Amino acid sequence: MSMIRDSGLDDRTDLSALNVEREAQMSAALVRCAAGDRRALQMIYDSEAPRMVGVARRILFRHDLAEEAVHDAFVRIWHGARGFDPARGSALGWLYAVVRNRALSIHRNEHRYDPADHNADDVAPDHALAGLPETSALRKCLEQIERPRRDVLVLAYVYGMSHGELAGRLKVPLGTVKSWARRSLLTLRECMG
Amino acid sequence: MTDHLPDDREIDMFAADYVMGLLDPAAEAAADARLETDPVFYSAVNSWRKRLADFDMSAAPITPTAQLWQRIAQSTKADRSAAVPAGMRGAMRGATLWHNLRFWRVTGLVATAAAVIFAVLAIGAISTSKHLRRDLVALAQRKPVYVAVLVSDQTREVGAVVNAFANGRVELIPLKAIDVPPGRALQVWTLWDRIAGPKPVGLTTQSRALVLNLDELPETAADQLFEITLEPEGGAPTGRPTGPIRFKGNTAKVL
Repeated sequence: MSMIRDSGLDDRTDLSALNVEREAQMSAALVRCAAGDRRALQMIYDSEAPRMVGVARRILFRHDLAEEAVHDAFVRIWHGARGFDPARGSALGWLYAVVRNRALSIHRNEHRYDPADHNADDVAPDHALAGLPETSALRKCLEQIERPRRDVLVLAYVYGMSHGELAGRLKVPLGTVKSWARRSLLTLRECMG
Repeated sequence: MTDHLPDDREIDMFAADYVMGLLDPAAEAAADARLETDPVFYSAVNSWRKRLADFDMSAAPITPTAQLWQRIAQSTKADRSAAVPAGMRGAMRGATLWHNLRFWRVTGLVATAAAVIFAVLAIGAISTSKHLRRDLVALAQRKPVYVAVLVSDQTREVGAVVNAFANGRVELIPLKAIDVPPGRALQVWTLWDRIAGPKPVGLTTQSRALVLNLDELPETAADQLFEITLEPEGGAPTGRPTGPIRFKGNTAKVL
């Protein structure tokens, strides 16, 4: 591990290297979806569905709702694949943006918040941060941001919390949450380039 | 007090909030629209997606239930090109599809593409401007490798187009309602080798968009004949065309 780091050749991890290959595969699959190739849609499913359910589950807390979000996402992917331009954007970024968008939509519009669904242990910003690879630039940069400000980003992105929900959970005024979010994002951008 | 940020910084923060999912619904809708038209914003969004991607990539995978793919397959079946598996013939009865609103809704995009291609053909009859044809085909965004225009020998009317895509998908899009008497069916054939003779590649009881099954055949090539014949329901019993040819045409490479 340290050898790789010390070599200075590449800051990224094996996970990232794997993602480069996945990125190429998903990009090609999306182009095929745009041409109406249903096998390509299934290929995306076979490759990404479990992780997509994992992403949606963190936002929705319930497995059935997470599957609902992934279902909706695939319908969108199929019909919207032509909107993806492999020359301009990341395929994985696009795919997961669709999944998060659908999950957030269910979370905000349809899912009546039920405390019974919500295990306090489910929302663990530290856990989400610890789940990032040690060499992840995102992780390194987040760790440079102080605690409550950093949590705003993790809770918003990973758990899909709105400004209002963040204010409630962190017990600070809405304006403070917004200012923390903005400053953290600026720091992150500064740090990650 | 926060200083007023320069414009590019402002765009970047808007993109960040968008990717984070922190915008209110109205602002999010505005961002969705802007994404289509503003390359600077698009690029900022793409950068933020990449910066935050590790969060998604490190989510613990959860195996979905077996039903999930089935539901997705079902929901995407009536897709934009109205892909219908060969062998679904006779599934619809009563009013023809051409009077069926739902059919048009589902095939809206195909209809648009077909209309554009039809326009190409209509204009092509007057002036064979290849540039215009290329532009309009590109407009339709179908990007097939080969297109065959199926024409009636008797009336010279255009009845359908066949689009062959680079991935092997071949589809037939009707441009004209074809009367199919009860107990009869329309069968689609292709002739890629005169010695082997025409091979059946699709069957339907109604004029409708079809995905043709050429899996067993060599890759579709230029100047390959496609034709539609009227056959008994269930297809020509001999495996060769037996009924009258309604429409036929040869593939041409799309420029």
